[in-house]
Amino acid sequence: MKPEEEIRKKRYKTYVLVWITLVILTGMTFSVAGMELGSWTVLIALAIAGTKSGLVMNYFMHLQSERLLIFKVIIPLVMAVFLVFILLTFSDVAFRGGVK
Amino acid sequence: MDEAKEFAFEEARDYTGAKLGMWLFILSELILFGGMFILYSAYRYKNPVDFHHASRELDVILGTLNTLILLTSSLTMAVSIAAIEKGRRTLSAILLVATMAFGFLFLVNKGIEWTEKIHHGIYPNSSILLQRPKGEVLFFGLYYVMTGLHGLHVLVGVCVLFGMLILVMKEKINQNRFVPLENSGLYWHLVDIIWIFLYPLFYLIT
Repeated sequence: MKPEEEIRKKRYKTYVLVWITLVILTGMTFSVAGMELGSWTVLIALAIAGTKSGLVMNYFMHLQSERLLIFKVIIPLVMAVFLVFILLTFSDVAFRGGVK
Repeated sequence: MDEAKEFAFEEARDYTGAKLGMWLFILSELILFGGMFILYSAYRYKNPVDFHHASRELDVILGTLNTLILLTSSLTMAVSIAAIEKGRRTLSAILLVATMAFGFLFLVNKGIEWTEKIHHGIYPNSSILLQRPKGEVLFFGLYYVMTGLHGLHVLVGVCVLFGMLILVMKEKINQNRFVPLENSGLYWHLVDIIWIFLYPLFYLIT
């Protein structure tokens, strides 16, 4: 087998492993929702969802094998902008008095 | 002469540029949905109990099933691209059809879910829904808008993949030139990622 072919073969395997992990994480999300963990539930659910999308981006969307720096910078940059939106919105919503 | 021209054309293709452009589009989509996620969080923060009650009415089993369907469609999509890179056209085409079938199945499930809700008089601005607490009205409004927009993306994705299937069959997409397929894959995975967040936020509120 050519070395290149071997890498490709491994890629199929990697994809299937990622998929299995994603299914397991979905099961975790589902079972955590059944537990009485109060406000932790949503945080755990979001953390799992974040992990899942990280896996999809790194492996399925090939971010891991992109060599150019811009691919590595552009996503954290957009996430940072998004975080600013969230903070601004919640600094308004949480401290607003009369209007509900 | 023609051959030389074609060669020059082949050389001038900018794969990185094409992919970067696709990523920019994907990030703009994330901001589009992100705005709605912020709206959702603000309303949920204000109406935690109503959101909990309304969420209980959604079909968790169908939602979980749809999550698994989309995750699996992402796998077939990724393997389809790996297959074309390897020069296995038939395998790639079969996996593309599978991806489209999963997408279609997702939409069918969504359709069943919506039909059932609408049948019970729960749809935006219905007189039955408007008698409910304000938070529940907001929840179902967000539910219809966000899953609706997501469903629209799935529909567009299936159409794009159909176009890609034709190109693969015609060998316009092949071992040496598969960036359109790769970009369509990026779009398909984006749709998957958005659903990954929609699923716990709508179906699993405790």
